[in-house]
Amino acid sequence: MTLWEIKKKQTALVDGLDPTLVPAVLQRLNEMGFASGQGIKCLRRSPLRGPIVLQLGDCVYSLEQNIANRINISLS
Amino acid sequence: MVMSETVSKHKLFKTINERQLMKNIILVGKPNSGKSLLFNQMTGMRQKVANFPGVTVELKSGQLGQHQLVDFPGTYSLKSLSKDEELAIEKIHEAMHNPKTALVVCNLDATRLESSLVFGLQVRDLALQHNKGVIFALNMIDEVQRFGHQIDTKQLSKDLGCAVFALSAKTLIGLQEFKQALLDAVEHAEDFIPATTTEPEQAVLENSRSLSKRYGIKADVVLKRQNRIDDFLLNSLFGGLIFLLIMFLLFQSIFTWASPLMDAVEIALAEAASVVSSSLPDGMVNDFVTDALFGGVGSFLVFVPQIMVLTFVIGLLEDTGYLARAALICHKPLSYFGLSGRSFIPYLSGHACAIPAIMAARTIESPRKRLITMMTIPLMSCSARLPVYALLIAVLIPDVQYLGGVVNLQGITFFVLYFIGIVTALLVSVLLNKMTDLNKDKADMPFILELPTYRLPHWKPLIHRILTSAKQFIRRAGPVIFMVSVVIWVLGYFPQNGELQSSYLAMLGQWIEPIFEPLGLDWRYGVAILVSFLAREVFVGALGTLFGMENADENISGLAANIQTDGLALGAGIGLMLFYVVALQCVATVATLKGETGSRKIAWGLFLGYGFLAYCLAWLCASFI
Repeated sequence: MTLWEIKKKQTALVDGLDPTLVPAVLQRLNEMGFASGQGIKCLRRSPLRGPIVLQLGDCVYSLEQNIANRINISLS
Repeated sequence: MVMSETVSKHKLFKTINERQLMKNIILVGKPNSGKSLLFNQMTGMRQKVANFPGVTVELKSGQLGQHQLVDFPGTYSLKSLSKDEELAIEKIHEAMHNPKTALVVCNLDATRLESSLVFGLQVRDLALQHNKGVIFALNMIDEVQRFGHQIDTKQLSKDLGCAVFALSAKTLIGLQEFKQALLDAVEHAEDFIPATTTEPEQAVLENSRSLSKRYGIKADVVLKRQNRIDDFLLNSLFGGLIFLLIMFLLFQSIFTWASPLMDAVEIALAEAASVVSSSLPDGMVNDFVTDALFGGVGSFLVFVPQIMVLTFVIGLLEDTGYLARAALICHKPLSYFGLSGRSFIPYLSGHACAIPAIMAARTIESPRKRLITMMTIPLMSCSARLPVYALLIAVLIPDVQYLGGVVNLQGITFFVLYFIGIVTALLVSVLLNKMTDLNKDKADMPFILELPTYRLPHWKPLIHRILTSAKQFIRRAGPVIFMVSVVIWVLGYFPQNGELQSSYLAMLGQWIEPIFEPLGLDWRYGVAILVSFLAREVFVGALGTLFGMENADENISGLAANIQTDGLALGAGIGLMLFYVVALQCVATVATLKGETGSRKIAWGLFLGYGFLAYCLAWLCASFI
């Protein structure tokens, strides 16, 4: 499943990123901690399919749909 | 003579010597890591800001002892994601190559070691390649202590292979020692060259993660308070209401809190003008000083307090951490129009003045969305349009009350004019979005936003920001306004010293009358519109002079009565209002657009495009109402 499908309060592990992403974005996501095996917690879903809010490492990030659905996860 | 020459030579040598001895210490770090406060605390109130036109990169430098501390923009990584980051990183690389750079200070957020070390380790490795010394500032140590946690800086320093100083820029813990240590370190910078580097097989991310596991606080502990506040402020229902309330207060601040300050500037200028004019003999010089200098340039200085108040409120929202939440809340609604959540703040600021608003668009991640935002900001009804709206509404709209005085027709018209501006901006955004190449969309930067910790803002960086905003506004717009004021004054003054009705300007007005005739407006409106391309509010003053009224600015109701007796058709009047909503009549905005987009074509293209659209709308109203 992709990160976009995660529900509020669910936790998951990152499986990997869509390799067709622009290299710069791929690199940045990696540095932010979107790397295999990393734990993610969904803090909030916004109405109208707005950006998702999640905790990763010691940061809280907000990602929009077109990027969240290119991050693969498995629920933990 | 000889004496003074020797003295000045001595001085010259001294400054050259000082320059040679002066080294640069560069300060880098992640955004929201307390870096700017550290910089402000280290260097005091005197700072120089170097701007690079067309990009957001801004290098601040201040004195630290005999050396110079240079604050680099906050960056997440040494690998760029946007054009602006790319330039900031290029500047870091340049500084590493520069022999004047003695030391690199890397600011870390002690409460979030993992994320700030990712960049920190990259910087350490880069500095090692260039044989530069590195010192880590473990900032916000007071918060770590508040959580009851201890960080073993000695051991951390061993693991990092660099000196580490625990400090708090906010409570000043360890700051004095740090300052002294930096000054000492500059003298033997080679001792501070990193002793370790990231092993090739061990990624920076893993390295920083393992370090943060060993030394840092647990993320859940740090984020607990932040997440609890977010539960409330980002709540689907309350969050939206609070957002609207904050925006309402912001609007109030722009118009209500700023007005006493604006009045004060106006009174001070009027006082200064009367003092200067009474000390000068009557005649051309006197007229020039009062009308062109105080009248033209002065009318623009009145907006400085408003820009300062706006910068203050937005700075407050940013430093508390709320601005990121506002961008998050707005992202979805704005994305329907091809804009980003980060377009929201520039749009908001645009209601005070387009110039700081266009500069605020720098935070938008996607270059295309940033461009579209900048291009549509001039459609927000800025405060210079207020006097124009006020005059035309007083002329055209009857003072009718509804619902027992709660709703007023004139007030509604005001609101509708603001609303038309916003709607037009959104429609133009959609259009611009459709026009730009869709293939670019794939390479466009996605919306990734870090939600920073909520913090009580510190006054120092805030004050700096307010002063810089005022300075930049004056520096950018001032020269243009001055030149245009002089030209308009000369045209309006000659050939018959001071007789506007028979001046070159009036001749020009009669000559251009055919342009304004289809809009149902005679030459006087034509001239007033023409001079208001300098700044919109000039319209009221110019019309006042042309209708033979003194002090038209202060006495809008008197001028309105004059215009009513003279007769202004409803269609032409409404057309004129719409003209002012849409037209880009502000030389300073065009100049800023040129600077920020880096393109003369875009700036003047918008000027012509909005002018044409405004003209068409005015013509439609004059013809069909």
